[in-house]
This record gives sequence, C-alpha cells and structure tokens, in this order.
Amino acid sequence: MSSEPTAAAPAAPTVVKGGSWRERVQQLMALAGLLLIFLVFSVASPQIFPGYSNVTTILFSTTVVGLLALAATLVIISSGIDLSVGTAMTLSAVMSATFIVNWHLPVWLGIIATILFGGLIGLINGFNVAILGLPPFIATLAMMLVAQGLALVISNARPIYFDTTEHAGYIWLSTGSIIPGTRFPNAVLVLALAAVVAFVLLNKTLLGRYDISIGSNEEATALSGINTKKWLMIIYAVAGLFVGLAAIMISARLGSAQPATGAGYELQAIAAVVIGGTSLSGGKGTIVGTVIGALIIAVINNGLQILSVRQEWQNVILGLVILVVVYIDQARAKRAATT
Amino acid sequence: MTSVEATPSVGSHDPGLLLQVEGVDKSFPGVKALEGMRFDLRKGEVLGLVGENGAGKSTLMKLLTGIYSREAGEFWLQGRPLVVHNPKEAQEAGLSIIHQELNLVSHLSVAENIWLGREPVSGGFFTRPGEQVRRTRDLLARLGMALDPKAVVSSLSVAQQQMVEIAKALSFEATKVLIMDEPTAALNDAEVDQLHELIRRFITPETGVVYISHRMAELKRIADRITVIRDGHYIDTMPMADTSMDQVIAKMVGRAINTAARPENVRTDRPVTLSVTGLSTKTLLNDVSFELYRGEVLGFAGLMGAGRTEVARALVGADPITAGHITLNGTPVTISSPAHAASLGIGYLSEDRKRLGLMLQLPVSHNIAISSLSGRFSRSLFVNDKAVKATAEESRKLLSIKTPSVNQLVKYLSGGNQQKTIIARWLVKDCDILIFDEPTRGIDVGAKEEIYQLLNKLAEQGKSIIMISSELPEILRMSHRVIVMADGHITGTLPAQDATQETIMRLATHRDATTATTTITEEAGH
Amino acid sequence: MRKISIGLAALGVAASLTLAACSSGTPAASGTAGGTASSGEKPYIAIVSKGFQHQFWQAVKKGAEQQAAKDGVTITFEGPATEAEVEAQMNMLTAALAKKPAALGFAALDSKAAAPVLQQFKDANIPVVAFDSGVDSDIPVTTAATDNKAAAGEAAKHMCELIGGAGTVGVMVHDQTSRTGQDRRDGFLDGMKANCPSVKVLDPQYGKGDPNVSADIASSIIEANPDLKGIFLANEGTAIGGIKATKEKNMVGKIVLIGFDSGKDQIDAINDGTMAGAITQNPVGIGEQVVAAAVKTLHGETVPKVIDTGYYWYDKTNINDAKIQAVLYQ
Repeated sequence: MSSEPTAAAPAAPTVVKGGSWRERVQQLMALAGLLLIFLVFSVASPQIFPGYSNVTTILFSTTVVGLLALAATLVIISSGIDLSVGTAMTLSAVMSATFIVNWHLPVWLGIIATILFGGLIGLINGFNVAILGLPPFIATLAMMLVAQGLALVISNARPIYFDTTEHAGYIWLSTGSIIPGTRFPNAVLVLALAAVVAFVLLNKTLLGRYDISIGSNEEATALSGINTKKWLMIIYAVAGLFVGLAAIMISARLGSAQPATGAGYELQAIAAVVIGGTSLSGGKGTIVGTVIGALIIAVINNGLQILSVRQEWQNVILGLVILVVVYIDQARAKRAATT
Repeated sequence: MTSVEATPSVGSHDPGLLLQVEGVDKSFPGVKALEGMRFDLRKGEVLGLVGENGAGKSTLMKLLTGIYSREAGEFWLQGRPLVVHNPKEAQEAGLSIIHQELNLVSHLSVAENIWLGREPVSGGFFTRPGEQVRRTRDLLARLGMALDPKAVVSSLSVAQQQMVEIAKALSFEATKVLIMDEPTAALNDAEVDQLHELIRRFITPETGVVYISHRMAELKRIADRITVIRDGHYIDTMPMADTSMDQVIAKMVGRAINTAARPENVRTDRPVTLSVTGLSTKTLLNDVSFELYRGEVLGFAGLMGAGRTEVARALVGADPITAGHITLNGTPVTISSPAHAASLGIGYLSEDRKRLGLMLQLPVSHNIAISSLSGRFSRSLFVNDKAVKATAEESRKLLSIKTPSVNQLVKYLSGGNQQKTIIARWLVKDCDILIFDEPTRGIDVGAKEEIYQLLNKLAEQGKSIIMISSELPEILRMSHRVIVMADGHITGTLPAQDATQETIMRLATHRDATTATTTITEEAGH
Repeated sequence: MRKISIGLAALGVAASLTLAACSSGTPAASGTAGGTASSGEKPYIAIVSKGFQHQFWQAVKKGAEQQAAKDGVTITFEGPATEAEVEAQMNMLTAALAKKPAALGFAALDSKAAAPVLQQFKDANIPVVAFDSGVDSDIPVTTAATDNKAAAGEAAKHMCELIGGAGTVGVMVHDQTSRTGQDRRDGFLDGMKANCPSVKVLDPQYGKGDPNVSADIASSIIEANPDLKGIFLANEGTAIGGIKATKEKNMVGKIVLIGFDSGKDQIDAINDGTMAGAITQNPVGIGEQVVAAAVKTLHGETVPKVIDTGYYWYDKTNINDAKIQAVLYQ
C-alpha cells in the first residue's frame, strides 16, 4: 500500500468530492458498523441471536424509537432540536385513547386525529421557534414539560385501556401481522413505510430542500427569498406527524395509553440520529443513516441482553458506541476538510 | 525567471534575511496547493505579497503558523530554522499573523482579547484586571491607537477590531515579523492611512512586515518590494518603486485588464423601475429617496456605516422601516420580507457572501436553484432534480462558473465563482432588480473584471442594478450614476461624467447632509 | 373536632410555650397558635409520596382520602413524576414544611437524602409517618409498609411450585436503586434459593417500570433462554411489558408469569391465563394507615414502630373474593 505514495497526487487537479458521494460513503460506514456489531453478537451467540425470531424481536423494538428518530432527523437537519418527541408521543397516545375509547370515534378516524394531533404539537413548537424566535432547545424543552403534564391531566394520571375486542384493529396495527403465517409485526412495516415517506420528503420535495438549506444557513436561505419561518413551522409540524404515528404504535403495542412514560425517549431518538451521521449543527443528515442508527441501538440492547451482560453495563457500552461512532464521523469529516 | 528546486540544499539560506521561505510543498487530495514556494523578507522592509485567490497565500500563512504541516521546504527566521506546531509557538518565536477573518472573542473587552491566554495573574490563578487594563493602555498609547481597553469588542467597528488584532500581535515582545492578510478589506481610506501609519511605526531595522493585499494602490504606497505568486508557484519579486500596477497585475493573471473603461450613457431617459421616497429606519436611515432606471447601474458610495447596506436590507424587507414609500414599475408596494421581495423580482446579493449568501455545505446546483425551487423547479411539493441540474449547468456555462461540476459543494469554489453562483441564483429567478452589496469583496483581480463585464451585460439586457461598493475605482468603473451616502442620508447624486474620486469623497465626508443634497442634486440635475 | 384543634394548638406552640397550654386550650387559643390552621379548620396532614400518576399511588391516595374524611382532617397528596426524581421530592418536602402541616406522611425515594429535611420537621415538632418503604432514621413515629421482601418470597414460593422446581427463571425489576425494587428482587432471589435451589435464576434486568422498554427486555429474555420456565415481574409497569412480550412471542401457557401489584393488564392476564398470579400489596390500606397513624399521634396516642400493611397472593381462583377485590385497582 505504501509503495505508491505518489498515487495520491494525480497530475491534474481533481474534484474535491462533495455531497452525494460523501453521504453514500457515510451511510456505508454506518451500515458497516451495524453489520459488524451484528456479526460480533452472532459469533457470540450463534444459536439464538441471528435467528429469525430474535431478528424480529430486534426490529420490533426499533419501531417506537425509530419513528421518533425520523421526526428528530427532520428537525435536527434544520439545525434545531426537538426534546419534546418523547412526551409529545405520550400525550398523543393519551389523546388517541381519548378519541377512540372515551369519545368512541371509529378507529381509523382516531388514528388520523392522533397523527394530526402530533402534527399540532409540532406546529406549536415550530411557531415558538420560527415566529417567537425561541431557541429550539428551550421551546421544545418547555413543550416536553407541558406535554408530560397534560398527558397526566387528561388521562387523570391513569392508563387508558383499549378494548381488546372492540379495538382489535388498533392493536393489530402494531402486534398483528399482515403477512400471514410469519408473525412479522406490522409495527416494523409501519416504520419501514414511514422511513420511505421521510426519505421522499427529505430528498424529493421542497420541504427537504428547504430543511437542508435552512440548516446550512438560515439567514442566507431567507435572503434567497424563502419564507423560512413558514417552512420551519412546516418542518416541526411534519416531525410532529411522525411523533403522532409513534404514539399510535406504542399505545397499540401496549393496548393502552400509559401517561407516566415517555420521558427519556427523546434522548434515545437523538442518539439514533447522531449515530446515523446527522450533524447536530444542521444542514446535513440522512434518513437511511437514522434508521441504521436506531437499529444499532436496538441491536446493542438486544445483543447484550441475549448475552446476559449485566444491565448496568449495557448503558455504558451504548454510550461508548455513540462516542466512537461520532468521533470517527467527525475525524473523517475533518480529514476531508483539511487535507 | 529560473525554476526553483523542489528540495533546496540547506546551505541556500541567507542569515541576513529576517524571514526566508524555501522550496515549500503542500498538497491536498488531488490538488498541489504549493510547489517550490519561496519568498524572503529583508530586515526593515514591507514586502507586498500578491496573487489571485487560490494562488496559495492562505495555505502559506497556515504553514507558517503551524496550522498545516509542510511536506517539503524550509523556513528560517532571523537565520534560524523555524519549526512551529501552532500559532502560539509562532508568536513566541517572533512571527505574528493577522488573518483576514478576525479572531477575536466578541464578548470580551479589548484588554481581555489582547492578553487572552497570557493574562497577568497573581498566585498563579487570580486574574489582575487592573494590571491588564494598565498594560493595554500603555500598549495602545505606544501604538497611537485611540481605543478604550475596557470596550467590548462586539461594540467596535470592523476597523477598530482590526486595530485590536494588530495591538494583540504587537503585544508580543518577541514579534519581529508581522504578516497581514488583506488587512484593509473592511477599512475606509482614512482608516487605511491610519493602518499604514501603524505599520511605519512598527518597522525598525530589526523588523519586517509581509503585507498581503489585492489593492494595488495601497501596495504602491506601503510596500518596498512586491512578490507575486500564482497557482502555488513563486513568480517574481520586484522593487515597488520601479514597478507599475499593470505589470504586477499582468504577472498575477497573465493578461492585461482594462481598468479605464467607464460607462458612457446616463440612463435617465429610460423608464423608472424602482422609486424610493422618504425611506427611514429606527436606527440609521433618514429620508432616503432615489430612483432606479431600467438598464442602469446605480452606484452607492460612502464610508463604512454610512447606511448603504441598510438601504438594501430595508428595500428587500430584511429590516423593518419606520417610514417611506416604494414604487415598483409605477405600483406602490409594501415589501414585508426577502421572500416577498424575491417574488416581486428584487434580488439582494449580500456583502457577506459566506454568512448571508451561501449555503456553503451544499452543492452549487442547490445554491443556484434555491430561490426558484418553489414554482420553477417543483410540481406540487416534489422537486424536479433534473431541471435543477440542467439549469445549474446552463448557468455554469453562461456565467463561466469555474467548478468541475454543479454537484461540487460551493465552499470549494473561489470567491469570484461563489459570487457568480449567487448571481446565477437571481438570474434563474428572473429578477429585474439586482442589489449587489460589495460584489467584488475578497475577489481577485481577474475575477473582478469578469464580474464587471457580467454586470454590464445584465444592465444592457435591461436589468436594473444597485451596486454598493467601498472601492471608488469600482464605483467609477461601473456606475451610470453614483449616489453618495453619509450618516444615513443621501448627500448627493452624481451622473457618471461628474463623478470623480474627489467629488465622491467630498460628499461622503460631508457632515452637513441637507445642504449637500440640494446643491449637488441640483448640479447633477436629472 | 375540638380535641383535634387543641392537639394542633399544642403542636404549633410547643416550641415556645409550655404544655400547660394543652390543658387550658380553647378553640380561640388554637386560632392564635403557630399559624397551622385557624380556628375551626380541620388539621392538615401533608402527604409526600413517591409518585402520583401510577395506579398504585392513586390507590394509596384513595385510602388516605377515605381515612381523612372519616377522621375529619384535610390532606394533600403529591409526588414526583417519576420515581427517579429524588430532588423533586426533596423540593416537595421543603414546600410541605413551609406550609406548617400538623403532620407529615412520607414515602422516601431516597431516605438518606431526606434526612436533613426530616430533621427540620422534627425540630418544628411535626410528626412524620413514613410509608411504603422505610426511612433510615428514628424520626418517623411509625412506618406503614408492605414487607416487600416477605411478599416477594411468597412469589418465589409460588413460582417454584408452578414450574415444578426445575428450569430457568427470569427476574425483571423496575429499578436497581429503590428500596421496593431491591427488596422485591432480593426477596424473590432468596425465596428461590430456599424453595428450589436447582432452578437457574437469571441476572435481574431492569426496565425502568416502562411497559414498552420492559416488553423489549422480556422479549430478549424469552429469545435468549429456550428453557425459560417463568418470569417474575416486580411491579405493574414491568408486568405489563412481560405480559405483552409473552403474547407477542406466542409463549402464553409455556412460561409462568408472576406479577406484583395490580392494574387492569395484570387482572386481565390472570383471568385469561397469561399470568399465573401476582402479589398485591394493600395500597388502599397503606393510605388509610398513614392518616390513621398521623391522627393518633396528634391525639397523643402511641403507635407501633412498624405497621405491616400486609400483602396477598391472588390468582384465578381467588381474584373475585371480596377481600382481594378490595385491594385491587384497575
């Protein structure tokens, strides 16, 4: 390898590769990381870990954090942050139960209403950030607390249960299987579908283009004649729709809306986004990376449990993985920028 | 000119020189940034260092201060090899650099910035603010700078901040060599004089200054010799006194530039596209009124802080106005935001391209298409990437934007090509009114000329152009009419034939704004 | 009513006045005392719990309110949002002190952290009744609590019987740090060792009491241990997760789930056979005992140092008994 030191300096100046090329490498790196971790666990536990049943378990456990991470990705690319996704999910789940159980809305209508409710929370976040000019950290921190409190108030601090027969369709959305005979949970398909939608939004639509542009340079984007305030609100609102979907998936899985949960999910979601190579300073990020990031977290959690590693160490290892992954990513970006 | 050995022998250096650079190589992936680079600085001189953007000046500076490591070559400072790993070591060795982008902590005071990292302390821990201020006062007095040591840096003008940088560099007792990268980019003429005075004070038989600049007139005044570099290579060094500006420019770019071209016709016979009356803002602008004609380049001249950029920002709705009326093609309009301005066909090209113009991390194509994504490049919400690419490619050819591909990230382009990218953005948007704020700031001489020709062509095609510039030759070269501002007022409007450096400077420094406006406008008579 | 007012007055002024005030106390006198409560108002007992949104705490609150109505006192009942928020609970405690209650009911999240504030209660002569888990201090006049260790030991005994004394058993607990978490975990582990030492008991896993997280963990345990015979689930949130995972993994009837506390999911799971049985505390009873003990103390009566509020094993066979129904919550 070192025998051709001159090969690195071709005679003619060449392109410093940008955008898509680098992103692709980055996703390959993340994917390689995921496969490596998967391989390590498979070697350590060849009987159980890579089996169909356990892989299904891993995918299933990715869904809720994965959906929240999709929401967080859209916001983080705009160089914002959304700390409210966890408790906004809880509040939306409580609203879902309120719509369907207490108000007796048809399940399909309740689902639409819940997703829109998630979007409404996002819209309020967007309003606070774009119109009132609050820093996203503060605006969504406040929303995190408000949503947590409201979830308890509206539910009377009690779980609201779906009826296993009357609302069987609702529960089926998460735990049922549309593919006969596989027991492959629908929740995974919902995540996959949502990821495709997010991918299209980010890569093929004005929303994605403006999202990246605002994250790269908000002022310049505004001076280019883009109504950045309007688009920021739309970005937060769309992120909220994904949160609403996450609310449906978690409450469908549990067959109830649990008002006391939710806090802490936002950090898992942000961790997935960061592992996936999305920059917290905005302007850069991919949906594929985020999905891989969420999978890495799920694989590590599951794998360590399969290996019966004491649980105290599972968090330590996850934290270290985040450090290593983000360090490698930044080191590579730095190398690309300075050498 | 003989070619330089890539690896010079160690004995080739002259201990009598203050700073000597020999045979320096540096490459980045795919690009040789420097090859056999050399120059020398004699004791007691100011050496001008010129080269187009991308010639390798910044890379050279970063090598000298240890930010980059060199692949080959030698540095000697006062006859001793210079090996440094970071800017602090360089400063301790006697070499201070003032970068074009200022490196000050804006929330700290002048004194705190100057002694940052070297604060006078007692007991190894507790700072001594009184002592720090006293030392700063001494230093500033010695340098003849009228600055308050306790003033917070963010409250200072760019020129004053520049002075703080210089004071900081000279606060190192060891400093023998001062390297200044485009020190006057943000200064007006009076401030430039002040800076040159400072440099002359600093020069002793034991010290020297490397002065990097695009401004030929300044080099003529301050430099003893001038070294030209091009494309990472050393080209030539000449005594300033025997060298004409055209010679220097020819060596820099390898072609002659027509600096004498002036616009001929005044366009006031054309229809008025934009009419502004009584524009005022809360902080600065007061009763600004003017008209812009179709196919006209309207120059806005004035000193820093006169309010030229503020006029542009108020016009496009980036800043709120407290009074005033805008009429666009005969129709009164209220412009609420840059988005609104864009929809009316008014494009603003900021003076601060990196901060307010470009999405640096994104491709050239995105930077061109951004203003037109909604509408021209999308159906419902979906973006037509093929059309974006195709249009960007067209713009690249039309404006000869030098980039290997429109997929290239715009941050890798030179200043001139970045500016062309933004121009392309507004052309694609099909704007009729283009407001250029310092269109050639930080752009090298060759690219400047291209921008000028582009502006002329746009005007010929019927676009109306407002051009804000701090460079008088640029104003004179380009403008059909010149509006001069001072202290938030318009102090005069000059048709091209009446505009000279002297008339403009007289209006720009005119403090009694009202009389000036009446008399000169009457003279100009449009 | 009048008696209580007198007692209150005594409490309020005890720091500065002699107890003689007690015998000569009148309603008028009590009105001037301390600022605890004005004349004719009911004595006020502040209750700071470990939580309030969880069904268990809601049942405790219900018991406390019932008893308060019976004894003619007013109460407030509050607790932090999660059982990890030790500091939030400290703030509630200080706030309660500022309101100068007649007595305090307190379930400590971290008994050591609470000690200095409890000392202030003592200095102000406000009696403290601990509940749910003990406080490492002699300040509380009594502790009304479930003997969690014994209760979890009972769960282990049932587990051993139901799996036939062999195989592998998983243990899922809500957290590593709370007293109930530790007691239930240790009580179960000890119980397994005592009753069926040949059963392999897995390392305890902790799901923060979050049903979704607990379901993921339970799924992993099921995947990782093909010979799994049963799982012990140490609180309601954990139990919900265990029940969901067992259904998702199609393991109903193949593994023995034993839960703790109640709630709709556990009750349904016991009724439909997903869960073999569960231990319930007597949360309503805890609430009643806290208020009753506080009132007794205010009356100058002595109360035992520990009040065992009891626990019950319930399964399909006895879940509809009146005695069990009384302590279950949905």
